[in-house]
Amino acid sequence: MADPGDLIGGLVGLAGSVLLLLGLTLATIGLFGLLRKPDIFDQLHPAGLITGPAVLLVLVASLATREAAIITSAILVIGFVLITSSLSSHAIAQAALHHARNRRRSEEGSDAVPWDPAGRHDGL
Amino acid sequence: MPDIVVTVAFAWATLLLVGGGLLLLRAQDALHRILALDVLVGIVIALLTILSYVNGVSYYIDAALALALLSFTATLVAARYVLRGRQF
Repeated sequence: MADPGDLIGGLVGLAGSVLLLLGLTLATIGLFGLLRKPDIFDQLHPAGLITGPAVLLVLVASLATREAAIITSAILVIGFVLITSSLSSHAIAQAALHHARNRRRSEEGSDAVPWDPAGRHDGL
Repeated sequence: MPDIVVTVAFAWATLLLVGGGLLLLRAQDALHRILALDVLVGIVIALLTILSYVNGVSYYIDAALALALLSFTATLVAARYVLRGRQF
């Protein structure tokens, strides 16, 4: 008959392995999307996939190490990543929007139609 | 976690780092470079975390925390620079 402690340890290790490999799979998908799409607005979504959920899943897998020092540091990084990844995405999106509007204004003059972010067919 | 899984994850994250470098080389303008550096730092954070699982020590994750702080500030300031055309 198996020792209950060994069984629980094995299950926790399995869960940690699944989380770790799932996070790396998400990062691979995001990198593929980044390499495939040239437009900056299209690239923001896979970039958010890498800096958000992929990193978070790898950090959550620290629970399977069952060492207090590693888990504490990982929880600190999780809180920090949750705050900062969305903020940096927003800053890049704002700069890209400003850049695109400036280019459109200099190409078509000041009385051009307002730029439509949804219909971006100008190859930005 | 089993040793083999952690080792495979470490090699996988290293390959992702190579892909991120390719993304940085293919960038056309400053905004693409900022985004590529942001993604590269995300991959390096994952790599340092896996390194701390390999060795069983916690201070690599503290290095990752410092790196995340620096990357956040750098991305914010660089994006603001592109937005206004001058510093801050």
